[in-house]
Amino acid sequence: MVEWLESVLAGAVQMGTVYLLASLGEIYAERSGILNLGLEGIMIMGAALSFLFTIAYGHLTALILVVIVGMLLSLILAVMAVSLRLNQVVVGLALTLFGIGMSGFLTHPTIRGSVLLHLNPDLPETALIIQEAPKLPEIPIPGLADIPLIGPVLFKHNILVYLALILSFAMWFILFKTRIGLSLRSVGENPAMADALGVNVALVRYLATLVGGALGALAGAYLFIGFQPFWVEGMTAGRGFIALALVILATWNPLRAILGSLLFGGVEVIQFRLQLIGLGAQAPQFVLMLPYIVTIVALSLLSFESVKKRIGVPAALGIPYSREEV
Amino acid sequence: MNKESRRKLTRREFLGVTKAAAVGGVIAAGVVGAAAGYFAGTGAAPAKTVTRTTTVTQAGAPTTITKTVEVPAAEKLKVGYVYVGPVGDFGWTYAHDQGRQWADQRFKNVESKYVESVPEAEVGGALESLIAEGAKLIFTTSFGYMDATAEFAEKNPDVYFVHISGYRSGAAGNAPENMSAAFAEFYQLYYLNGLAAGAVTETGVVGYVAAHPIPEVVRHINAFALGANYAYKKRTGKNIKCYVDWLFSWFDPGKTRTAAQALVEEKNADVLAFTEDSPTTLQVAQEYWEKGKRVWSLSHYSDMTQYGPDAHLTGQIVNWGPIYLDFYKMVATGTWQSVDIWTRIGDYLPWRWRLPVEKSTAGKPEGTVYLAPLNPAIPSEWQEEIKRRYEEMKELLFEPFSPEGNLGEPIRDQDGEVRIGPGERADHDMLWSMDWHVEYVETPLPR
Repeated sequence: MVEWLESVLAGAVQMGTVYLLASLGEIYAERSGILNLGLEGIMIMGAALSFLFTIAYGHLTALILVVIVGMLLSLILAVMAVSLRLNQVVVGLALTLFGIGMSGFLTHPTIRGSVLLHLNPDLPETALIIQEAPKLPEIPIPGLADIPLIGPVLFKHNILVYLALILSFAMWFILFKTRIGLSLRSVGENPAMADALGVNVALVRYLATLVGGALGALAGAYLFIGFQPFWVEGMTAGRGFIALALVILATWNPLRAILGSLLFGGVEVIQFRLQLIGLGAQAPQFVLMLPYIVTIVALSLLSFESVKKRIGVPAALGIPYSREEV
Repeated sequence: MNKESRRKLTRREFLGVTKAAAVGGVIAAGVVGAAAGYFAGTGAAPAKTVTRTTTVTQAGAPTTITKTVEVPAAEKLKVGYVYVGPVGDFGWTYAHDQGRQWADQRFKNVESKYVESVPEAEVGGALESLIAEGAKLIFTTSFGYMDATAEFAEKNPDVYFVHISGYRSGAAGNAPENMSAAFAEFYQLYYLNGLAAGAVTETGVVGYVAAHPIPEVVRHINAFALGANYAYKKRTGKNIKCYVDWLFSWFDPGKTRTAAQALVEEKNADVLAFTEDSPTTLQVAQEYWEKGKRVWSLSHYSDMTQYGPDAHLTGQIVNWGPIYLDFYKMVATGTWQSVDIWTRIGDYLPWRWRLPVEKSTAGKPEGTVYLAPLNPAIPSEWQEEIKRRYEEMKELLFEPFSPEGNLGEPIRDQDGEVRIGPGERADHDMLWSMDWHVEYVETPLPR
């Protein structure tokens, strides 16, 4: 039983990290009032580029470059949504479509070879056609990794899993316990008021969107080099949108996002177990549907004003801010 | 095959052998056609006369048609392909594109184009643009393209269409004469994979990561489970247990990893087969090896040994090239004949008779479907058994879906009902509409 729990929970943590990284960034963006529907596109770009960059330069450089590209992509959204005050939904969806197309283009078998040679001319012939990259090494934490149950579930993963967990706590602390967090929340709640109090609304929104892009790209990179290092076009398979749902389920709180990502990741793990023990095997889609039902329930609860106030939905989410119009 | 079963050659089996001989005729024709195609393809040779023999299965009985035709002076043959996925999917579409390149290299005087990632509802646009660019021959490579292909064949009688994995063609009588159907079929290879799996499993449990519950995948699972049971029961006297995890997706490496891990950790499976467009399952098996646990997996569509050097047992590989090349030649030489073909082990070989076990070509590239390299870890007596069956299937002397493939027992479904009784073999229609699991599969079939 303990072994079973161990393997299910460890699987949930590994799968859930994809959702956790992506939703942490999205929480910051949405807290500042920017709805980033481009998350799926940024994630798939992160996955594709972590594939190309890892082959060309190795893990560390790849991760740094992926984060930078993620920020550049979200910068497009920030310019459009904050400075040009365009409709965030349209821009976000355009970014998603762009990311899916661009990632497919850069990794296309007829193009990939020359892209890789541009990145690193010394690559051997075999590296140009291979569709996998070395996986991030597992780093068991000495001492802690041997504790039964908790060890394998929490302390026997690669660096990105630890990073996601540490970030959740750090980002929660910043968001709720510091002045920076207060500015961030106030910009998403009532930008006119924040502006009047001397907060630079545009700057905060830019930064929050960039954090969202960086973590979104990192989530894609994790899916590829941290979880399943084989590249196929469209391998994120809508996980960016699941992360968007998760943000709502977590009610824009980084700590609740840990639980939400465990739930979403856990359902993905458990549904394949249930099929094998004959439960829900006739209709496995039903089990896969469960997190969405939870999300829909959470969403409908949020429509009540009282719940909304208590949880703190960013009131200015998706609304462009302009001084003149207030 | 022993003497006793040889004496009991049924009419069905006899027909099978006749068919084998007939297909042998096709091969001979292919050789003539190859020569014709080659010469038609190289240089601006003047028109010449070529005799071509084609064997076509019409309403069950093979008939041979011999035609003498004028080969027109060389003009580049324009060929179009419509793919459902990206050519980089490392599965279905990748295999088709490799086949296209294979055929182009051999035919030479051809200009082929492809349109990739075409949603099934939008195939019309792709077909229109290929026709507008002057394609004389168009391959549509997804089941969902079938009806649109028939429609376009009707509207464009001077363009030839080949649809992959469907059942509509002029030969079958449910499409215009300028449409053919073709498919390269794996179930025999899955049975051999099963033999290898049953020969190496220590837990007596094998797993299968499956994409969608369609007849093609169901018969592959059944063939794998039958083969695994054959070997495992012969070794230990116990039945094999086969568990299936359904992805409901053709490619999603993330889901595949989770499903493969579930099979190993939940059910202790130590051989994993799969139908899905990436080597993820093999990569997962390799990771277990690196952690000191023996888990085996297979190649699918192309040789994937590099993704799991220790864990790679054997596998099924396809080469669509010879099928495509055959259609190129038909169109280039003006000898089009609508056909409905499905190729198995032994088809498109220079000759069709079986080789002795020690000279077996099992594990080497040949024909349109063949076995991936056999891991030396498979015990030698089972390597021989696999090779013997492989060679027998070249002549269709052995059929996995027959009691012979099940240690002489009739093949029962999960409810214990006999599906294939003594003296019977599964035929094309049964294989193509299979909606039941053999008794060794433990998980129910989603409906």
